[in-house]
Amino acid sequence: MLSSILKDKSYNILNNIVDAFDAGLSILDKDLNIIWSNKILSGILNLEYDLTGKTCCEVYKCECQDTKNCSVLKALSGGKKQFTETRLIIDRGERKYIRHISAPVRDEKGNITQLLKLSLDITEREEKVRQLSLLGKLAELMQGTLQIDHLLHLILTCVTAGTGLGFNRARLFLVDRERNIIYGKMAVGPSSTEEAHKIWDEIVNKYEKLEDLIKAAEDNYREDTPLHMITRLMAYSLRDENEVVVSCVKNKKIIWERNAFHNPNIDKKFIDMIGANEFVCIPLIAKDETIGVICMDNLYSKKPITEERIQSLTIFASRAALAIENAAAYKKLEEKIQQLKETQERLIRSERLSVIGNMATYVAHEIRNPLATVGGFARAILRVPNIDKQTRQNAEIIVEEVSRLERILANIMDFSKPVEPVKMASQINEILENTCSLMDPYFRNSRIRLNKKLDTSLPKIVVDPTQIKQVCLNLIKNAVESMPDGGTLTIETMMENGHIKINIADTGEGMTTEIMQNIFVPFFTTKVDGTGVGLAVSHKIVEDHQGYIKVRSLLQEGTTFSIFLPI
Amino acid sequence: MKTILVVEDDKNQLLLYEQELSIEGYNVIMAKDGQEAVRKVKEQMPDLIVMDINMPKMNGIESINSILSDHRKIPIIINTAYSSYKDNFMSWSANAYIIKSSDLRELKSKIKELIG
Repeated sequence: MLSSILKDKSYNILNNIVDAFDAGLSILDKDLNIIWSNKILSGILNLEYDLTGKTCCEVYKCECQDTKNCSVLKALSGGKKQFTETRLIIDRGERKYIRHISAPVRDEKGNITQLLKLSLDITEREEKVRQLSLLGKLAELMQGTLQIDHLLHLILTCVTAGTGLGFNRARLFLVDRERNIIYGKMAVGPSSTEEAHKIWDEIVNKYEKLEDLIKAAEDNYREDTPLHMITRLMAYSLRDENEVVVSCVKNKKIIWERNAFHNPNIDKKFIDMIGANEFVCIPLIAKDETIGVICMDNLYSKKPITEERIQSLTIFASRAALAIENAAAYKKLEEKIQQLKETQERLIRSERLSVIGNMATYVAHEIRNPLATVGGFARAILRVPNIDKQTRQNAEIIVEEVSRLERILANIMDFSKPVEPVKMASQINEILENTCSLMDPYFRNSRIRLNKKLDTSLPKIVVDPTQIKQVCLNLIKNAVESMPDGGTLTIETMMENGHIKINIADTGEGMTTEIMQNIFVPFFTTKVDGTGVGLAVSHKIVEDHQGYIKVRSLLQEGTTFSIFLPI
Repeated sequence: MKTILVVEDDKNQLLLYEQELSIEGYNVIMAKDGQEAVRKVKEQMPDLIVMDINMPKMNGIESINSILSDHRKIPIIINTAYSSYKDNFMSWSANAYIIKSSDLRELKSKIKELIG
C-alpha cells in the first residue's frame, strides 16, 4: 500500500516531510530485501551506493544472525512496531548510534505485506549520555586513586579514550611553584597516523568497558614514545605570560586555538612542539589555584573540536584537578610519615647505641681490671726460671686467652667511645689507596685478587679521613674473610646523585636475608671471634657524615657494600 | 733506688704491680685510694706515681690535682681500664695515659722513660 502511495504524485510531498525529520527511511519486502529507501538513510549508514535491491542484513549490519531477536522478523511475524538501537563503527573508530523503528505495513485485507524501517541518528544524544555516565565513573575512579603518577595517567587515558572524551592526543603539564615553572609531565597518544589507526582499531575491537581500557592503557603505557619524550622536554617560566600554557595557568581559562599555524600571537616553538593547528588547553584548578594544564588535539582524525566536547572537558578537568590535589596531599602525607618513621628508627637506634655504649663501658671496665690481674700474674709465672713444662704451657694458655679477651674489650670500648669526627677536605681515592696498601700483605696471604676501579675525577669531600679509613678497613676485612678460599675483591668509586659512592664487593659466601637485616646491629656477629661492633661502628661513622650504606648480597655469589657520602 | 707510688683500689692488682715493679728494681709503695695517696706523697715523696682513675673516697683526678698543687714536679702515669678519657689526660697534667692490660711492658717502658 505504502509503496503504491510513494509511487504516485504525493511522493514528493511525503519525501519532503520525512526529510524534514532527518530520518532515514526504507521499505522492505517479506524476504527482507530493500525495495525503496531515501537518501538520508544512506547518509546515516555511511553507505555511498544505492540501497535498493540489497538485503536488510547487508545494509543495516545489525545482529541479524540472531534471528530470534531480529526486530524486522519480529515486526513481520508479530505485527507490532519494534524499536532497536544499533551502534555503527565507521572509519577511524568513530562510532554512530542509530535508533530504528520497524513497522509492519498491511494491505487492505490487513495482511502484512511490507515493512517500513525508520532510522534516526542519535549519536549526539547518546554520546552525551555516555559521557555523563563516564564522567561519573571517572570521578569515582579518580577519587579512589591516590598514587599520583597512576592518577595522572588515568586522567590522560580518559581524555584520549575513544569511549571517553575522545581526543587524539593529550599532554599534561604540571605547575611547580617552588621553581616557578610549568613543565611537561606526561603524554598519551599515538605518534603517527598509522599508529593512531592501529590503536583505535585495537581499542574499538578489544575494549568495551572503560575500566578494561584504562587497565590496558596502563599496562601498555610506555615512557619512550616520541610524544611523551617531547612533552618531557617542555618547560616554561611562569613569568613568561606569552606562552600558551602559562597564560592558561595565569588566566585560569580554557584556550581553544582553532588556527594556531596562522596565529602570530602564539610562540612558533610551542606550535612546533604541539604540531597541531587546532588544540585546546584546559587549566586544572584546585582550591582556586591552577595546578596544571592539559593540552589536547585531534591531529590524526582532524575532527574539529566541538563546543560540547569542551563542556564535558570542563566538568572533567575540575574533577581531575581535585583528584590530583588529593593525591598530592596524600603523597606529602606519605613522605612525612616516612620521614617520621626514619627519624623514629634513628632515634631508637641511637638510643639503643647509647644504652649499649654505657653498658659496654661499665662491663668492660669491670672486666678489664680482674683480667689484667689474671693475665699479669700468668705472665709473672712465665718469667719464673726453671718452671716445669706443664706449668709453662698452662700459663701460656692463660696469657693467650686473656689477650684475646682484652682485644675484644678494646673493640667494645672503641665502639662506646663517643668520638666527634675531625673533618677536612679529603680525596676518597687516596684514602682507599692508602687502606689497600696497608692491607696488601693480607690480600696476598688470603689469595685475594684486588680489582680497583677508582674514578679519578672525584672531587675532594669533607670527611674525617681516619674514620672513613676505619670504615673501609672494616668492610674490606669482612670482604676478605668471606672468601676463605680466595676470590676477587672489587673496590670501586664513582659519583651518583650528589654522592660519592664506594663499592666494596667480594665473590664470597654471601649472606641470608636474615643476617643482612642484622648486620648493623651492635654485637651481632656470625664470626667465631667477632665482636659484632665493626659494622655497627662503620654504620655510625657513615651516618655521622650524613651518608648511608647499602648492602646487596647473594648466597654463594658474594656481597657488595656501597657507601654513599654526600659531596 | 727510685720509689714508685701505685694508687689502685683493686688489691690483687696492687699485688701484681708491687711484684712486677720490684723485679724491675723499683721501691714500690702503695695506696688504696686518693686520700691515702695524698698522704703517702707527703710522707714519702715518691719519684713517680701510677694512678688509677676510678677509686673510692677521692678519685684519681682529684688526687692528681691535690698532689700537683704541692708537688708540681712528680711525674704521673694514669693507668686505667677506661679508654674514653685518653683525649683529656693532658689537661689533667698527667705525663702519660695507659689503658690497663695484662701485659705490663708498656707501663714499664713508660716508667723507664720518665724516671729511668
